Amino acid sequence: MSTLTEAPPPLAPNAPEEKPPRKKRGRWTPYWLLLPGILWLIVFFALPMIYQGSTSIQTGSLEDGYKVTWHFATYWDALSEYWPQFLRSVFYAAAATILCLLLGYPLAYLIAFRAGRWRNLIMILVIAPFFTSFLIRTLAWKTILADSGPVVGALNTLHVLDVTNWLGWTSGDRVLATPLAVVCGLTYNFLPFMVLPLYTSLERIDGRLHEAAGDLYAKPFTTFRKVTFPLSMPGVVSGTLLTFIPAAGDYVNAELLGSTDTRMIGNVIQTQFLRILDYPTAAALSFILMAAILAMVTIYIRKSGTEDLV
Amino acid sequence: MNTKDNSGDVRLSGISKTYDNGFTAVQPLDLTVPQGSFFALLGASGCGKTTTLRMIAGLEEPSSGTVFLGDQEVGHLPPYKRPVNTVFQSYALFPHLDIFENVAFGLRRRGIKSVKQQVVDMLDLVQLGEQARKKPHQLSGGQQQRVAVARALINHPKVLLLDEPLGALDLKLRRQMQLELKRIQTEVGITFIHVTHDQEEAMTMADTVAVMNAGRVEQLGSPADLYENPNTTFVANFLGTSNLIEAEVDSKSGDEIILKAGGGKLVLPEARCSAPTTTGGKVLVGVRPEKITLTHADDAGEIPAGRNRITGKIADSSFIGVSTQYVIDSPVCPEFEVYAQNIDRDSRLRPGADVVLHWNPAHTFGLDAAQDIDAGVDLEEEAA
Repeated sequence: MSTLTEAPPPLAPNAPEEKPPRKKRGRWTPYWLLLPGILWLIVFFALPMIYQGSTSIQTGSLEDGYKVTWHFATYWDALSEYWPQFLRSVFYAAAATILCLLLGYPLAYLIAFRAGRWRNLIMILVIAPFFTSFLIRTLAWKTILADSGPVVGALNTLHVLDVTNWLGWTSGDRVLATPLAVVCGLTYNFLPFMVLPLYTSLERIDGRLHEAAGDLYAKPFTTFRKVTFPLSMPGVVSGTLLTFIPAAGDYVNAELLGSTDTRMIGNVIQTQFLRILDYPTAAALSFILMAAILAMVTIYIRKSGTEDLV
Repeated sequence: MNTKDNSGDVRLSGISKTYDNGFTAVQPLDLTVPQGSFFALLGASGCGKTTTLRMIAGLEEPSSGTVFLGDQEVGHLPPYKRPVNTVFQSYALFPHLDIFENVAFGLRRRGIKSVKQQVVDMLDLVQLGEQARKKPHQLSGGQQQRVAVARALINHPKVLLLDEPLGALDLKLRRQMQLELKRIQTEVGITFIHVTHDQEEAMTMADTVAVMNAGRVEQLGSPADLYENPNTTFVANFLGTSNLIEAEVDSKSGDEIILKAGGGKLVLPEARCSAPTTTGGKVLVGVRPEKITLTHADDAGEIPAGRNRITGKIADSSFIGVSTQYVIDSPVCPEFEVYAQNIDRDSRLRPGADVVLHWNPAHTFGLDAAQDIDAGVDLEEEAA
């Protein structure tokens, strides 16, 4: 045998192909892909915002036309006249958010950990109301809470209404046209927005973490308090935001289920725009609402420390 | 240490697990793990070893039977009331807590207020003192593994359960952690029950190994005992490699059994045969590949008398550094494996050469012929 000093020849390479000249287009592809989104944002977000902003500092009347006069006093006037509605909106939205959390968390927990093969069915039931219009669903609550309806009858018999009357949530024998009805409507309409993010974050939790906590002497409730709940915080935060923000600006529930005493800021803005036709005040109110929500949300996210959660 | 202390004994009494779908993961099992031992449950995936471990931890409810820790029956207790802790497969560290709080978790749940010193000491034991304020995802696999061990050990459990604790680590780190775990076990002296599918891992670390197959313990003993004296073909094949030959009992002389296999005669010490032997009956004769010496057929005359011999032809050989592995085509066994240390290499031993295989009869073991000769052969690769 001859000494082997040569490595065996490598497999014959394929005939070298002419490489197509590299096109420079590739570099710009991401920006082209972003373009539709950016255009959409400009047309439907940035331009209306600028338009609204300019409206809010105009003066004039419908007959003479409006002019930008940098009249920031509109903001102050709007706030001093409508601060009760602002406060009420925040209060109702907060109440609805808390109710949604109290109802939605157990539901999401059940779907994520206990539902087994019923999981999909329950998920569909959670989403099903979306198949009907928001307006129709809210109108349905008018029937449910009707003065002669079974709900009011039952609440009366059980003397629940005495308690809610005392708290100022209802008045007399009625539920409809009271704060309770508005909060119920808000809770019902925004519940799926709470359940879905909660479910997503609960479902992501590794089941072995529960076992590990149990193994390390945590009783089931302690496991929930120390492991499950902290790990579901991203869901709690996004769920409460998705509920609170639209609820604070909502006017349909207060319009259909409430009375003049339960008017929220959304109702005021709607009236200013569509009935009184005082565009500057309406625009100023919209901006104040937006700024207030932005401020509250920022503080909330800072406090809940979710940026830290993985 | 007080040798009479048996509070860390784990006793399984008739324990079994049948799932709702009718699958029986663990057949009724009796097992005692003495206090302070390092015990391994070894088997391929699906053999019931993890289920057994989970029943000891209380994470799985036994369908029958119960668990004792020392003299205390714990079979009905929920996991958080059992004095055992588990190192989970892929660790299950709490991602929202830092390393310090992960380790302190068990102490805090038991209402211990001043945990600082204990946690610091424990993190030093596993050499993670510097990492106390990091989150689990900032650590490497090996470090996470050590946190998982520290988190369990800090509670001074009576028994530490380890569920494939090294499965997620790469080979080199795994070897290192095997020695580390063994060191920790010797240091703290508590009972370790270790579930693994890696036979090398089980043999390196454990004092006692139980080989499980299809929900049953096939054999239990020290690693050397299991390796040298397997009782079943499953153990013989799953733990290392065995050459198994079908043979017929010819006669008995003293404490030796003379067997006929393919025209030749083999000698098997009676003490090393786990099967009943009657003249004319069949047994499986086994021998480990490294016990065999390979001699070229031309030198057959130099083989000392009294050794078991088989003739054959080299079918294949692969050089792997410390040894050369030969596959021999022999009339009694088509793929006879021989591992020869590379001390003096005989250049004539190439594929195609006629050879004589011979070994000390004391290294022969006998098994019941009424079982699958290939049981457990490829399971290890599947499990890994």
